[in-house]
Amino acid sequence: MSEGSFWARIRRTEGGSGLLLVAPPGLYAILLLAAPLGTILLYSFLTDGYLEIIRDFTLMNYSEAWTNELYRSVMVRSLAVSMAVTAITVLLAFPIAYFVSFHVEPSKKSLWLFLITIPFWTSYLIRVFLWKVILGYNGVVNSGLLGIGIIDEPLTFILYNVNSVVITLAHAYAPFAILPIFVALEKIDRSLLEAGQDLGESRFMTFLRVTLPLAMPGVVASILIVFIPTIGDYVTPQLVGGPEGRMIANLIQLQYLRLDNYPMGSAIAVSGMMLVVLTIFFGWAQARLFGAAFRWFNGTMPWVAAVAMAFLSIAANFGGVLLIASLLPGAVAGVLLILSWHIALLVMLKRGGGMA
Amino acid sequence: MKVNGFKLYAFCYLIFLYAPIILLPMFAFNDATVIAFPLTGFSTRWFEEMATQPTLHLAVKNSLFIAVTSAVLSTILGIFAARASTRYRFPFKAGIMGLIMLPLVLPEIIVAVSLLVVLLGLGVPLSLMTVILGHVLICTPFTIAILSSAFQSLDQSLEEAAYDLGETPASTFRLIILPLVMPGIISSLLISFTISLDEFIIAFFLAGTQPTLPVYIFSQFRFPQAVPVIMALGTILVCLSIVLLSIAEYFRRRGIARSGGKDTGGFL
Amino acid sequence: MTEKPTMIAFQDVHKYYGDYHALRGITATIRAGEFFSLLGPSGCGKTTLLRTIAGFEGIDRGVVMIDGKDMAGVPANKRPTNMVFQSYAIFPHMSVAENVGFGLRRAGLSKADLAARVGEALEMVGLKGYGARAAHALSGGQRQRVALARALILKPKVLLLDEPLSALDKKMREHMQVELIRLQRQVGITFILVTHDQEEALVMSDRIAVMFEGEIAQLADPETLYRRPNSRTVANFIGTMNFLPATVTSEMGGRIEIEAAGFGAMALEAAQAPGAVTGGEVSVGFRPETLTVLFDGQSAGDRESMATIEEVVYFGDMTYYDVRLDGTQSPVRISMRNVFGRPVLDIGTRTRVGWSPGAMVLFR
Repeated sequence: MSEGSFWARIRRTEGGSGLLLVAPPGLYAILLLAAPLGTILLYSFLTDGYLEIIRDFTLMNYSEAWTNELYRSVMVRSLAVSMAVTAITVLLAFPIAYFVSFHVEPSKKSLWLFLITIPFWTSYLIRVFLWKVILGYNGVVNSGLLGIGIIDEPLTFILYNVNSVVITLAHAYAPFAILPIFVALEKIDRSLLEAGQDLGESRFMTFLRVTLPLAMPGVVASILIVFIPTIGDYVTPQLVGGPEGRMIANLIQLQYLRLDNYPMGSAIAVSGMMLVVLTIFFGWAQARLFGAAFRWFNGTMPWVAAVAMAFLSIAANFGGVLLIASLLPGAVAGVLLILSWHIALLVMLKRGGGMA
Repeated sequence: MKVNGFKLYAFCYLIFLYAPIILLPMFAFNDATVIAFPLTGFSTRWFEEMATQPTLHLAVKNSLFIAVTSAVLSTILGIFAARASTRYRFPFKAGIMGLIMLPLVLPEIIVAVSLLVVLLGLGVPLSLMTVILGHVLICTPFTIAILSSAFQSLDQSLEEAAYDLGETPASTFRLIILPLVMPGIISSLLISFTISLDEFIIAFFLAGTQPTLPVYIFSQFRFPQAVPVIMALGTILVCLSIVLLSIAEYFRRRGIARSGGKDTGGFL
Repeated sequence: MTEKPTMIAFQDVHKYYGDYHALRGITATIRAGEFFSLLGPSGCGKTTLLRTIAGFEGIDRGVVMIDGKDMAGVPANKRPTNMVFQSYAIFPHMSVAENVGFGLRRAGLSKADLAARVGEALEMVGLKGYGARAAHALSGGQRQRVALARALILKPKVLLLDEPLSALDKKMREHMQVELIRLQRQVGITFILVTHDQEEALVMSDRIAVMFEGEIAQLADPETLYRRPNSRTVANFIGTMNFLPATVTSEMGGRIEIEAAGFGAMALEAAQAPGAVTGGEVSVGFRPETLTVLFDGQSAGDRESMATIEEVVYFGDMTYYDVRLDGTQSPVRISMRNVFGRPVLDIGTRTRVGWSPGAMVLFR
């Protein structure tokens, strides 16, 4: 009876049994993820004393994080590196995902994916270190180029700076970028492509008008999954970045473990995350904008113009965010300016689309 | 024509992906102390030298303990979450699942410092246990991703058939659900073991004075004469990862084949 | 024939999914040993009703009784019912014998007894000697038989079948229909079949409940359901029915007199209005095979009307004529068996049509 009524009760309230089941991982995440993240946010508004943290509410940490030349340059660099890595990784990854999805026999797809993911699972630290070996003064690239006789003396601009950080991170996050795009491409019904060609489009135009839009969710996922973690990467800038390649994570580590300044470290961490959220928001707004523009011009705009506009739009956005980041003290005004510009354009395009 | 162009590009890409890994055994078996070309001669002395380093042994022991514990705990949590999200609708589902999956995209340093602040604030001493807390947090999203696809391909009428034939919910889970998702569980254990074994930042922040394998490796990079041993160690780790991943992949595919599903891709 | 005792009784059963009212007051009884079908279009609640018997769905109001016991609070694993699932739900990690013997795990049988029972059950469904096979190595028809054996081995009082034939091809389906009828006679227990295929229900069932939108529209034996549907919806769902407008001219002592377009005046018995018609504008319905296209010299069975052939569809054994009776707006369909010597008429032909008031059904 008791078992019966228990089971009946469980069956009747699906929400209850679902919550019961998700409680262990859910509570774990709340206690060890949500609460600590909240604590960091709280700490970022407190004051660092000599041996203890003073419980005074202050915005000093943020004003320091956003005005100090060192912190600011590190944040701008992190954002720039992260965006460059994202752009490179996704652009390089798309053809691979496309190749595996469309040109590899179904039976061999798993093997290709396996080959692509294997390097990702092998010791990250050692992989990063080996890039130092590849790019170093006596490294593989330099000795190779010297051996062939293309250069007379070793290249020095490829290690211990931003370039080496970008190359190494692009390598590390490659599989992350490929998989979501691949999954999106796999979902595309192949008969849609045949329909596209049947309706008189060339292969290239079919790709542009059918494949690419349908693959977009995957592209967006891979942009996010690369962009967010890379901005907080510690190992790569530490090992191959040199002094001019330091990023936010190195700064956070410095504050926490060396200077023991938890509030300052927290403020930098929170600022970094805010930067990420802001960038994603602008990217999203830009994408919406571009989508609206594309629909507006649909049919009347040659694809060259559409693609050019897409690039312009993305470039303008990245530029805009970079600008904001470099002018952090005036960030609020900048944000408002760009925001209102976006909204105005959206409204305008919507009206234009309505009239057309 | 077009296909060949793609293929060429794909091969170049694979070379880019594998470049560091190909170098690894070269330097591991090279008898020079300096990690640079040209190679000077074959030697296994770096492998032999590993035996003489007690810190390394301690680090390996610590890392194995952390990795095994984290893998088991995160897989158990993953089973709960995957079962809940594939089988039930419940309030705040998107929010709760989103929070649990958040470490998948959150930079690890954020996880590390936030845990550090809370643990020190509560007066919890840093130890291997605190590392495990962090590793379970970042491994769980991966286990959920793997286990969800295992639970997803499970026909709900199989459970109902078992109840109908007289089994209780508990015995149905044991007799029907568990055997059918077992390949997914094994693959989830192996993947989370691999992730934990390789994780550096959280261990760096939360291990206190205890070395883990990645923390040890990182510390050795400062001493050029210690690096060849690390190359040898790395070679072993790479081989180990490939073996573990192959087993994980085998079980993942067998799980899909067993429940009659269609293979749609890799680990993510 | 003596009335069989009641096996399952529904009393005002209601079921909601959130705001959706899936079962709207089901009241019905199913008798012991009968082959009962729940028939209706998808989404009508027939599967939900079946699952309330099995215990997979709780009910929000009302009573479900099995063999005289209220099933409220009795879970699926404690009910005297077993189910054959639409997907068959064969456990993929077990052999055929392990699947069939699954429910006997708790019976505490010896190995030999268990094997004997499994063997018996497999023999009953025509799978003798298949016990060692892996479940995934079976064809669709074989999986279905395994599912049947697995459910029947527990000797349930009621066997529930959720669209068991829908996954099979046409030939196999017809074969399994006969098999299921034979099996039901052999074991003698109540079978409850859910199906959306009216032909399947007519062929197999002792009685059928036709369901629409969470309610039972009509519960009757196949012949009554076909000959005297109680509403236009039921009539349309089961086979084809023609409708023509009519007016009730008088109702007296179990006789209804009507004036129907194309047919003229006729007198019907009260039983010919199962939907309880009361006066005014009604429609008169009739099956395509109850009318006859008469050829030169042929005499009518009962009464005759004049008509024009508007469409001819030739089916080999049958010919379908769409004819417009004089004085009506739209054509009605007549099906004629192509017996030897009977010609197929052309479009536009004027013809006599024979009919009988006894074949008519009156609808609101």
